[in-house]
Amino acid sequence: MGNQSGQSYGLTILSPIINNGSRAAAQDLALRHHLSKLANGEHSPFAKVPGTHFVRLVVMGDVVFVGYPARDEHLKSQYLICTADFDGELDPYLQTLARTIPAELDAIWKHCVGYPGATDPAKFAEYIKKCQVETTLYFSDVNDRTLEQTLKALLVKTAVTAFAERYQGQPASVVQPAFKKFLTELSQTPAPRPGAAGI
Amino acid sequence: MELNLCDLQGFVARGYSGRSFPVASFLLARIHDAASGREFLGRILAEITTGQLWNGKKPGSTLNAGFTYAGLAQLGLPEPTLQSFPVEFVQGMKSRGKILGDTGADDPANWETIWQQDGNVHMWIGIYAESKAALEDRCRKISAAMLETRGATVLQTQEAGALVIGGEVSTKEHFGYSDGFGNPDIQGLCRKPTPGQGKLTDHGKWVPLATGEYLIGYPDEACELPVSPIPYLLASNGTYMVYRKLHENVATFRKFLKERGGQYGGGEKKLAAKLVGRWLDGTPLELSPDTENIDIVKDDARNTNFTYGKDSDGARCPLGSHIRRTNPRDAFGFSGQLVNRRRIMRRGLPYGTYVPDDQPVRDDGEHGIIFMALCASLFRQFEFIQQQWVQHGNDAHLGNDKDPLLGNQCDQDRFVIPGDTTPKNPPFVCPHLPDFVNLLGGEYFFLPSITALRMIAEGGVDPR
Amino acid sequence: MTNINGKAYAMNAITPMRAWKSPILRLIFWLAPLFGLTDLKNLSFIHFARWVIVPHDKFPWLGGKQPRESVQSDYMLFFSNFNGTWNQYIDAFSAVLSKGLNYFWCWSDKFPGSVPVTGFKKYIARVQFDTDFYYNPYPYAATNDVKAAHRVQAALDDFAAKSANMTEQQFAEAYLHFLIRVQNDLGALGPAPEGT
Repeated sequence: MGNQSGQSYGLTILSPIINNGSRAAAQDLALRHHLSKLANGEHSPFAKVPGTHFVRLVVMGDVVFVGYPARDEHLKSQYLICTADFDGELDPYLQTLARTIPAELDAIWKHCVGYPGATDPAKFAEYIKKCQVETTLYFSDVNDRTLEQTLKALLVKTAVTAFAERYQGQPASVVQPAFKKFLTELSQTPAPRPGAAGI
Repeated sequence: MELNLCDLQGFVARGYSGRSFPVASFLLARIHDAASGREFLGRILAEITTGQLWNGKKPGSTLNAGFTYAGLAQLGLPEPTLQSFPVEFVQGMKSRGKILGDTGADDPANWETIWQQDGNVHMWIGIYAESKAALEDRCRKISAAMLETRGATVLQTQEAGALVIGGEVSTKEHFGYSDGFGNPDIQGLCRKPTPGQGKLTDHGKWVPLATGEYLIGYPDEACELPVSPIPYLLASNGTYMVYRKLHENVATFRKFLKERGGQYGGGEKKLAAKLVGRWLDGTPLELSPDTENIDIVKDDARNTNFTYGKDSDGARCPLGSHIRRTNPRDAFGFSGQLVNRRRIMRRGLPYGTYVPDDQPVRDDGEHGIIFMALCASLFRQFEFIQQQWVQHGNDAHLGNDKDPLLGNQCDQDRFVIPGDTTPKNPPFVCPHLPDFVNLLGGEYFFLPSITALRMIAEGGVDPR
Repeated sequence: MTNINGKAYAMNAITPMRAWKSPILRLIFWLAPLFGLTDLKNLSFIHFARWVIVPHDKFPWLGGKQPRESVQSDYMLFFSNFNGTWNQYIDAFSAVLSKGLNYFWCWSDKFPGSVPVTGFKKYIARVQFDTDFYYNPYPYAATNDVKAAHRVQAALDDFAAKSANMTEQQFAEAYLHFLIRVQNDLGALGPAPEGT
């Protein structure tokens, strides 16, 4: 199944952007401007959506002309491309997406043709699927771990390194109890937030 | 394939061994104007040492020359030619600081004055000699030519030379490591491949690298000609050199070895070996993980003849050690194709006087290496190694960890020594790696062929 | 520069193809996982990558005032999230995966082949278009770091379970084995090197 690899899903959507009539439509410029100001890192709206690995938003103005004898042809609309790599299946993810950050989704996709808004998750999902293009080949380097597991593992890696350094050369009488304590602390430490500093 | 050795500069073709030429002076000069600069170059042209074999008639001293971009511009090369040089050479090493990691203590603000101003240094004149007398004689002749033609002024004379340790000329640098192993074999230049120096074929044979990895004007390992300045005759048989004056913090290094060596199960000498990948005497860890072995060191068929395939855990030679980082050999798989285009020819020489182990030493003494590396593409070879393999660790699967010896360390940096269950080879973490080496300045130079030198001296570079 | 977030670079490329070639390319994409994408995994510098064929008549049409597209070529879109610099990435592909690259891209108009690399880079620069917004939840972790982290997690879980009731002696030995197991996965996280 092209869109999936293990438990990773690669969603690719092309959303036609509203064309106000003139070639240099205001909608695409407004959209680009909005995207340039969109919060990134741990304050990004996508950081709030569980299971979201990478997301990109790209305004594609036209196809490319690579030179004769390729065709010099043009698209009639501009498209907002969104690629997302997330955990699990499409339907549950779209539901979560619409429920978690509806206002932020609206602020982006309101520039696009036929966008119904995210207040009704079912309508939102229907729209996304209309815009979806099949990912013909999908590669995911780590396709058997969730975002949460990855973030926790990154914390664990750093913590284990610090522990190894701290207790280097110490006798087992010291290391063993320290290790037990270390495990307890780790289990009580939540996974770092997506986009958090140092991760 | 036969190369025209008479057209190569000797420094490029073979370099000069510390045994035969233990002392050197590098004159860093400024050219006054195009006409007199060319006259000066014309005056010394006949003295430039070529790559021609000496056949027993070794000279008392050698002479070679290279130019920065600013130097070539000052010599009046036509604008279209100047613009055809690669970007990194045109910009100069100082501008490339972010890529090279020359920040913090290595920032140009801390460099020697001559290197701080953009385009200040125009020319590198390299003189190697068998004695101080021969060296001074050659330097006098150069100065005389400069005066007569009023073509150039020496901004700085950098003295360098093989360290004399225990009364003997040695190949060691100030930290005590024997240096100079593992320069790449280049097609057309190496008479007989030395095992371990070239590239490894799928049949396990060592063969020379494509000429174009080293000399401009020839196909490289990617089967194309590297970016070359126009016209072809100016570029062909030339190469680029990166010159970096690296100060060595000997006191810090010795203190580190003593302290950490006391904590490390393998002891001080082995710790030193793990940092680099060779014992102090040059024995590769990969071939002799437990002791030094002078027999291996003395045997050119062995001292660089190894691969890392059977040591994927780095229990013999750590994944992050200096030589494994800077020349991964077969460690990346894919028949070495990710490594073959990242080789450089090292011609460096120490400067300063060696302080024996048992004597007090200071970090601010005159101790260092004039690092000189030659390659056909500074961007693809030297800069890449520096940026991705020395100042970073992702390709070695070591995250952001840096080269323990050369990396620009900050207090958080550490070096992990992988080990095994033997007590003398435990896993060990060296935390808080100090900054052992600091950059005092440097630049990128173009080392033209003999023909190209003549073209430049005669003002005969044809604009396109 | 919005193509980069931490250690990840978002590359987008679009190439035109004659429509009759698409079915052949689809077949190749369908076969690719069967031959294994092991080389990609072994190169170990891509988090996620995808190839998307957009047939000339399948650009999403939402109705209303949106005109239908009338392009005649099919278009292949390529999206990658990779670690390292742009030059390093393309150098590596050209050096070790040139055959695979050619199978995927030879159907695209004016593709010059993935060897020699300079012409290949010129082509990519022509067909690449920039990202407006790029989100990365673990910017200081390359895919190598992610995989190392999972290995450390697994090793820790194993060791924790095994050592729960060990004597001091047993623990000492088991701890050494644990360290040996994770010793090459302890590289620091951090920002990507600057520059091209």
